[in-house]
Amino acid sequence: MQDLQTRLAQHTDLGEWTQQRADLAFVTVAREHLHGLLRHLRDHEGFTHLVLLTAVDWLEDGQFQLTYLMNNRAAARDIGVRVLIPREGADMDSIHDLWPTAATYQRELREMFGIDFPGSPRVDEEFILEGWRDMPPYRRDFDTLKYAQEEFAERPGRVSKDPETHMKQKLYPDGA
Amino acid sequence: MPITTVLSPFRAWKFLFQNPVTVRDPLTERPGAPRYRGFHQNDAEKCVGCGTCETICQNGAIDMIDVGLAPKDGDSGLRPRIDYGRCCWCALCVDVCMTGSLSMSNAYTWTDANADAFRFTPGVDKKPWDNDQLGYRRPEGHALHGKDRVEMAELEPEARIGTFDEIVAGYDVARARLEADRCVECGLCVATCPAHMAIPQYIKAVRDGDYERGLALLYETNPFSQVCGRVCTHKCETACAAGHEGDPIAIRWLKRHITDQVPHKDYVRIVGKPKKAAKGEAKTIAVVGAGPAGLTAAYDLARQGHKVVVYEVRKHPGGMPRYGIPEYRLPYDILDADIDVIRAMGVEIKCETRVGSDITMDELKAKNDAVILAIGLHLGRSTRIPGSDHADVRKAVDLLRQVTDEDPVDVPKSLVVIGGGNVAMDIARTMARLQMKAYGEVAVTVTALEDKAHFLADPDEIRECGEEGIDIVDARGPQEVVIDADGRVEGLRTWRVQSIFDAQGRFAPSYDESDERIHPGDMVIEAIGQAAGVDMLGEGLTEALEWNRGRIQVDADGRTSESWLWAIGDCVKGPDVVHAVADGHRAAKSILAAFEGKGDEA
Amino acid sequence: MVQDLSDRSQYPARNRDGTLDVDLTSGKYLKLWQGPNHPGITGNMSVELTVCGDEVVEGKTHVGYLHRGFEKLMERRTFIQCFPIVCRICVPEPDFNEYCYAAAVEELAGVEIPEQAKWIRTLILEMGRFNSLMMYLGGQSGSLGLGVIGQWTTYVRDLMLDRFEELTGARIYHMFILPGGVRDTLPEGFDARMEETLREAERTMKDVWNVMFQNAVFRKRTIGVGYINPALFDDYGVTGPTARGGGVAKDVRRDQPYLAYPDLEFEVNVARDSDIYSRADVRRRDALQSIDLIRQILAKMPRTGPVMAKMPNMLHWKIPRGETYIRGECSRGEYGFYVVTDGSGYPRRVNVRGPSYTHAMALLERLIVNCNIADVAALLVSLHTYPPEIER
Ligand code: SF4
Ligand code: SF4
Ligand code: SF4
Repeated sequence: MQDLQTRLAQHTDLGEWTQQRADLAFVTVAREHLHGLLRHLRDHEGFTHLVLLTAVDWLEDGQFQLTYLMNNRAAARDIGVRVLIPREGADMDSIHDLWPTAATYQRELREMFGIDFPGSPRVDEEFILEGWRDMPPYRRDFDTLKYAQEEFAERPGRVSKDPETHMKQKLYPDGA
Repeated sequence: MPITTVLSPFRAWKFLFQNPVTVRDPLTERPGAPRYRGFHQNDAEKCVGCGTCETICQNGAIDMIDVGLAPKDGDSGLRPRIDYGRCCWCALCVDVCMTGSLSMSNAYTWTDANADAFRFTPGVDKKPWDNDQLGYRRPEGHALHGKDRVEMAELEPEARIGTFDEIVAGYDVARARLEADRCVECGLCVATCPAHMAIPQYIKAVRDGDYERGLALLYETNPFSQVCGRVCTHKCETACAAGHEGDPIAIRWLKRHITDQVPHKDYVRIVGKPKKAAKGEAKTIAVVGAGPAGLTAAYDLARQGHKVVVYEVRKHPGGMPRYGIPEYRLPYDILDADIDVIRAMGVEIKCETRVGSDITMDELKAKNDAVILAIGLHLGRSTRIPGSDHADVRKAVDLLRQVTDEDPVDVPKSLVVIGGGNVAMDIARTMARLQMKAYGEVAVTVTALEDKAHFLADPDEIRECGEEGIDIVDARGPQEVVIDADGRVEGLRTWRVQSIFDAQGRFAPSYDESDERIHPGDMVIEAIGQAAGVDMLGEGLTEALEWNRGRIQVDADGRTSESWLWAIGDCVKGPDVVHAVADGHRAAKSILAAFEGKGDEA
Repeated sequence: MVQDLSDRSQYPARNRDGTLDVDLTSGKYLKLWQGPNHPGITGNMSVELTVCGDEVVEGKTHVGYLHRGFEKLMERRTFIQCFPIVCRICVPEPDFNEYCYAAAVEELAGVEIPEQAKWIRTLILEMGRFNSLMMYLGGQSGSLGLGVIGQWTTYVRDLMLDRFEELTGARIYHMFILPGGVRDTLPEGFDARMEETLREAERTMKDVWNVMFQNAVFRKRTIGVGYINPALFDDYGVTGPTARGGGVAKDVRRDQPYLAYPDLEFEVNVARDSDIYSRADVRRRDALQSIDLIRQILAKMPRTGPVMAKMPNMLHWKIPRGETYIRGECSRGEYGFYVVTDGSGYPRRVNVRGPSYTHAMALLERLIVNCNIADVAALLVSLHTYPPEIER
């Protein structure tokens, strides 16, 4: 996919390029280049199929990674375009004008990660979590275990012993 | 629309005349497939309660519960209870089970009005499917963790026999990580380790590459970590959960690996400074004997801020690890490094000071708040067979000491060792090296009472002896040291052993006198056991103390009948470094408790 | 004779913000909920219809009735602990989840699986495809009132479940394809019993052909109905039989072959008309093809050698930082797992791409406009939708 990289680099500022497999590469670009790059890939490089659009929460870096994965069937290869955006007040330009189906992905990202896509159709409509009031649950700082412990009751009567501690208690309680 | 498309559907009518294909459940029983993942079975005898099944269960369906079995070496006594309200029958628990005790039957129907019934302990709560033969068993070769121990580089026999260089090289980082990766962190081994070292935790430190944390964990429980990392009898490995369906984790080598990875100069910083005792709280303690037991107690007490002086009769501290264990197994600088850490805690070691003559027990008693006796076993026992008083019949401990202190040793061209324990192997291999140096060839015969199947020495030792050209003859009872007309030792006459113990289990060897052999040798070395030298106690104290079959009587913590005196280590217990360390800890604990007035007044 | 039913020129006017100007009190429009409990719904979802007479003017897909948050749950499970849960993302064809997940972590960890395992994985995926298509055929005919087809296809599916049971130890959630390979080899006598099942399946497929595809009612109600303009395929991420029914020979097994597919012989099934009938027919042929592929696999696969790669201790398994996407052709189209690792023992992020995500959301909402209420169920089923893979 080196040829593609060379061609793209001629008109777009490409960030890190990761060749994951012979037929799959990921490339990072700045958010302002995204729309143009996707359009170019779709119209001139044969990447007509938007496979998926999703986010990765790099909580410790304060960033969301958006991954736009596209497929060129004729050439049997895929490219994943990564865009890093700040977690604080996260928003991103919509690509529903390029692929109408992207609106669904963007609606989900809005709900699950709290990333806004202004102008994306029905982006504020509830999608999967009707009636959800907590923080967007796919964010890394949403603690599923804590949530489950608070929301649901354990069946009473459970205890589990750690073998090492149990043996200590029974065999050498004073530690020597 | 063609007319056929109107008629074609009527072909369905043919089913009117066919038998139904449905199974009339429950009238017709339909067993699950032979590898069906149905209800759990557990062989409660085989299960060791390691809890690995609980660890892997992503549904949190398993609890390790006390079913009333007493914990013992390598078995926590706990057993897994499974909550079928949570289980998804993924069988990861079966796949990971360390003993292969857990499996699944092909039974899949179970009704009960009580929801709590579905939380059960397979193999303990009896179920109809307990003895079902069919169902999911872990397929052969399918394993979720490594079964084979990672090999460690060793010197080849040809390369090692001519020198006293250390034989095993220790793991490199990559291999150590691979080996540490096999540990499942069950913690079964901790109870078996006499010093209860934090084994799963320090193995995790190896996995993480965090050697400082590992070292700190080691010296928390064992100031002889470097020594034990090489020569420990590693009983923990016999308890290791991984040993049931593969090789036990190389716990001892991993310990050694940690000590190898940290530069000696960093040890003291990592181990940490001793506490400062509050004003007026600092006590003084005298320790007799600078072996592992005495020094461990000294280390513990010093770390609590007390003043400890250790008296040692030999040139160097270290006790048996120095004077009993040959250098090719335990290099002296390794021992010195451990002792340096102990010294850094403020322990003072006075060598070449003989208690009994240079300073008496009474003086020690008078000057200190407590005294610890850790004098070890340094007197070799004799077979007392005819000829055993000849000057060329030597005791293994004496010879080993000579070699260690670099006193000149007359190396005979050929020799015979009596004994089948580790000390016999040590002296045989030590003398073999000296012979190699002096004459370029080895002529050592080891005669042991036991037959090969019951040898007392470590299997590794026996194998390595063989590799180094030492001849081991089993089941031979020594009868006489043969002395020629010129008064020189010519060899050892032995009979074949028929049995060692009598019907009551007492030591009473019986021999086949017709099977007699003479093992030629210019020297005979006795390595049949050691005794403590208790002369130094002085008459008064010897009288005052309570004794038990020739050994000083002590309580579980090592305290003697004299409240100011503790006796620990080989002189009261069995001989091995880590037991001595454990003894040292116990005594220190007991002394500290006594200082705090928790125990009897000291 | 096809027409683009997505033309919405005559019905309601649009407000300025683009929403429809629907006044429910006018008596002209009615809201109708199809689902979540409805025989014409393929699982736990519902379609909120706005109708005018018996014509739909707007449809909105609602999902979330079965949201279990798998992607999030996996973030707190070790790599091996994720293995038992992924299959649950899709009940009728769970194995794609197992395969895509395993293949993704294997790739990221640099694990190469043994040859025999590749073939067994392929076998399982084809068995799963066949079963999923049997459910589809029953559902598609059921959506048009042909209840008996569902009984027949359920019967052969059940026979195939017997084969699954003896191979994997379970009927529905097989939990057999795990990172590193598969759990076990084929049981003894499997081939013969599989052959019997395949013969029975072929007999049933003949009946299905005669009673469903050669049925005037079925043909009348599906030919020319539910048309999707192939020009929309890329806009809406259309893949699999839905695309192939419209003449686009998209098939991951051929386009980007994986597992043992390079060694298997098969033609990509396509049809021209892009209507419900075409899609149904493609799937019918796909089912027959699966039968053929299963036979080929059993004939060609190696029977010796390991089925699991040598793996590190799964309890401590850490995978270096990286990301990848693994796709396969499931019975409904492109199924894929996007997996991101961060060097720890847990996945950083897993995103499951199921074909229903695009088919039953944006695409359905577009197609449903101007559709007759009576055809909604048939249209929805013809997209072969499994809601759990939308909400995961
Ligand atoms: S079968 Fe799976 S879910 Fe059930 S107890 Fe075992 S590990 Fe847990
Ligand atoms: S893993 Fe096996 S041996 Fe260990 S507790 Fe569970 S059932 Fe027992
Ligand atoms: S070393 Fe063995 S017994 Fe000890 S924690 Fe590890 S696996 Fe368990």
